[in-house]
Amino acid sequence: MSCDILSCEEPNREVKETDVRQGTLALMALKTLDVLGPLNGYGLARRIEQISGDLLTVNQGTLYPVLLKLEQEGSIASEWGVSENNRKARFYRLTRTGRKQLNAEAQSWQQTAAIIARFFAVKAEDLK
Amino acid sequence: MRLIRRFLGRLTSWATTRQYEERLRAEIEEHLALQTAENIRAGLTCAEARRQAALKFGGVEPMKEMYQELRGLPLLEALVQDTRHALRRLRMAPAFTIATVMTLALGIGATTSIFTLVYAVLVKSLPVANPAELFRLGRESHCCYINGYSQEGEWSIVSYDLYKYLRDNTKGFVELAAFQDLTPILGVRRSEGLDTAQSYPYEFVSGNYFKMFGIGSYAGRMLTPSDDQPNAAPVAVMSYRLWQERYGSDPSVIGAVFNLDDKPFTIVGIAPPGFFGDSLRNPPPDLFLPLNTEPYVDIEADLSNSFEHWLELIGRIRPSVNPATVQAEMRVNLKQWLLAHWSEMSADDRARFAEQTLYLSPGGAGITSMRERYGRWLQILMIASGLVLLVVCANIANLMLVRGLERRRQTSLSVALGARVSRVVREPLIESILLSLFGGAAGLALAFATTRVILQLAFPSLPGHADVPISSSPSMPVLLFAFIASLVTGVAFGIAPAWMAARIHPIEALRGASRSTPRAGSLPRKTLVVFQASLSLVLLSASGLLTVALHQMENQHFGFELDGRLVANMNPRLAGYRADQLHLLYGRIRETIANIPGVSSVALGLYSPPDSGWGSSVFVEGHPGPRIDPTSAWNRVTAAYFEAVATPILRGRGISEEDTAQSPKVAVVNEAFARKFFGSEDPIGKRFGPIPRLSSYFEIVGMVRDARYFTHGLDQPTGPMYFTPEAQADYARSAGSLFLKDIVIAAKPGASVSATSVLQAMASVDPNMPVISIRTLREQVASQFMQPWLIARLTSFFGILSLLLASIGLYGVTAYNARCRAAEIGVRVALGANRGDVIRLVLRGALALILWGVLIGLPLTFVSARFLASQLYGMNPYNPVVLLVAIVALGVSVLVASLVPAFRSSLISPLDVLRAE
Repeated sequence: MSCDILSCEEPNREVKETDVRQGTLALMALKTLDVLGPLNGYGLARRIEQISGDLLTVNQGTLYPVLLKLEQEGSIASEWGVSENNRKARFYRLTRTGRKQLNAEAQSWQQTAAIIARFFAVKAEDLK
Repeated sequence: MRLIRRFLGRLTSWATTRQYEERLRAEIEEHLALQTAENIRAGLTCAEARRQAALKFGGVEPMKEMYQELRGLPLLEALVQDTRHALRRLRMAPAFTIATVMTLALGIGATTSIFTLVYAVLVKSLPVANPAELFRLGRESHCCYINGYSQEGEWSIVSYDLYKYLRDNTKGFVELAAFQDLTPILGVRRSEGLDTAQSYPYEFVSGNYFKMFGIGSYAGRMLTPSDDQPNAAPVAVMSYRLWQERYGSDPSVIGAVFNLDDKPFTIVGIAPPGFFGDSLRNPPPDLFLPLNTEPYVDIEADLSNSFEHWLELIGRIRPSVNPATVQAEMRVNLKQWLLAHWSEMSADDRARFAEQTLYLSPGGAGITSMRERYGRWLQILMIASGLVLLVVCANIANLMLVRGLERRRQTSLSVALGARVSRVVREPLIESILLSLFGGAAGLALAFATTRVILQLAFPSLPGHADVPISSSPSMPVLLFAFIASLVTGVAFGIAPAWMAARIHPIEALRGASRSTPRAGSLPRKTLVVFQASLSLVLLSASGLLTVALHQMENQHFGFELDGRLVANMNPRLAGYRADQLHLLYGRIRETIANIPGVSSVALGLYSPPDSGWGSSVFVEGHPGPRIDPTSAWNRVTAAYFEAVATPILRGRGISEEDTAQSPKVAVVNEAFARKFFGSEDPIGKRFGPIPRLSSYFEIVGMVRDARYFTHGLDQPTGPMYFTPEAQADYARSAGSLFLKDIVIAAKPGASVSATSVLQAMASVDPNMPVISIRTLREQVASQFMQPWLIARLTSFFGILSLLLASIGLYGVTAYNARCRAAEIGVRVALGANRGDVIRLVLRGALALILWGVLIGLPLTFVSARFLASQLYGMNPYNPVVLLVAIVALGVSVLVASLVPAFRSSLISPLDVLRAE
């Protein structure tokens, strides 16, 4: 069983893990849109896959509910456009609210990461 | 902020569901197309590229579900869905739905109807400005006259002099108003034109009465303090109802002169619609007159007597002032006033000076004599109707349980397929609440109709008079009550089936129908039936006790003869008679009616038993009198009165033709009068009078047996009463008490006198004199018992209703259990049981339930009976006959209810059962 961030789940113990996963996925989507500008769903999924080094490969479909939630919160906006192969596609872009949210969450994420990193760096003699 | 925005987004997306689904579908398609294209570029075959793309995308359905959960309002959608589903299910079972809704309508209708009365009588404030600021004098109302300078317990009514003293010396009131807590009748005739006199109730009020209530006029102006001066021009305010109904809202009424008992008054204004005075009463006053016109209207005036207390007080307290402070201030003022009248006080009053006190109580509801009179009965009715509603709940819970059992397989299948418990539980709950809301709506309509009927029966209004100011149309609180009652009912009877649904195990879906365990649900159902039976027993015995008590009261010894007596009611005032013409009129009436064949005696009186009305102070010559409340009821009657009503004369003589205007003034007293004022002394030859100055006015010439004149209530003991001859009335003065209104006609033994012949006789005396009613004395007595009978009948109705429901419930349980035991019974029959055995088997189960019901119901019955006995004077709470009858009624009806299923099971053929297996 491949156990990456997206797929390691038991079907019934969903609530907490879904939240964490969605939150992470939402942050990734926001950052990707921030760096690369407007993208369609497929493009966004591909980029996240690329950036994460193919760690996020399964269940691309789960991205869509996340996008909907972000749009309802006003962090992103969407409109119909034309994709690379000349098909009608929905393009997502970051809004000002979204940028603010991204900055705030990035900061708190980094803080959390730094704190956790410090804990992992601790050796017994440091605390003596 | 984010939450609100999300909610709004969800709301709009919920409204545009289809559009969103389309968008998602397009996006998924696009995604898959792009991925497939890329896979093809990577060298896969077309089919494989498509497959890989789909794999990578993951499960579409879970994603869609997640998407949908985020998108709309899932709870609301599910609720709408479930409601639709429930409605469909209810439509598919029309018999069940109609039966349930009707049962509920009965239960909720009964409760709501009683609540309408409870709300109007016990809760509602007067329709005036800021009722919370109003405070009234007294904790209880002590209508109508108290005499002297001491009052028992508290001062609740005051004289005009004391009112003025309290008004002028109590700083805590913005306004303090006084009024008489009586609405006597007055002949009303517009002075110009051809208006005929009609009688309407009126009330004496102080000049600041309307200002105190914050009531502005509808038209013209209200009374002012300057109208309430000794020499002010006589003016009056008319009720909106009278103005509209009798005078067609004619604007010229305002400023017009009206003759009120032949005294000219100018109508200065119309009170606003809906204003019914200072208290809820029947009938509400139609005319408001200033206190200072009392001596002008009624010669026997109380206005100038500082010892005659007859006025109620309501005041508006200054917003910042504590009522307790005002109360303390008033107590000081009361003592000051009493001290100022020290020289007039009797030795007894002086001795009791220290204990004289008063209390203020909230006055937003006005003088609450109706509340005091009917409060306990309304509470009893409310409890009774609540019990009926409980029985209804139990019954429907039972029906719902059966429905739940029948749906068991379906529910277990749903659970097996992954339905959440919350959803499975919600289904029966939504169904119950829907049913109860339908029932509530139907019940509301029923309540509206029944409240009208109850009001008309309980408070019959005279033609042309206003109805009691209680509206039967549902007000906001009543609507709210009905809604909450239905909701609570729905939840109450939905909980059991919901709980059962929650416990269903999916494995049951796999078992066959005949192998399911239907008896699992029989305990809650049996409990419900036991509960119903015990409640029915309580209601039945309560109504039985009430009925028996009322029968006893109605058949008590009244002290007058009920049979062979007619009472004709008239109003000479309306025919325009002046006081000085009355004596001749009465003589002619007596003479004419006495000539009707079959009449043995005829007499006139101010009133006839059991009605009552007039009271006065009693001052006995050379006698200290009783300590408290030296008052007595009195009646002005013509000669032969005691013969006409057949009240036995115990000592001396009755009132006879020898009592004339010239002969010495005499009175006849009853036993209670003699006991109260003379103790063991012989009253004959003693003298008394209505005021201290005239304490030798009447000489007592006879004593009659106590007769039941219901001065206060049906259950009060007979009070003191004296009778004076009409011929000795002072016709030089004009007073309301000169207008005798009742003619009592006694028939000779064996003969009968028809109402028509009396009407003809009256027409020959004066064709213009309206006879208001003719009825037998028995009917007149019965009318006094109308309200208690109404209460007893309502309780009986509730009792029978609950008995019926309990029987239906038991029938349901027995029939269902018998059906479930069909196989067992079949085997028993095959093994040799006969029909009698089978019937006994089924009946035993039913009777066991009833036995439990009786066991639980008995203590409850005793509790409720003791409570009833504390409310109704002279009731025996442990009437074994009533209890036995109630138990037998319960037993018989449930026997009948369970006999049908028992008989049906006895017809089970063992072969059929085996074949069905």
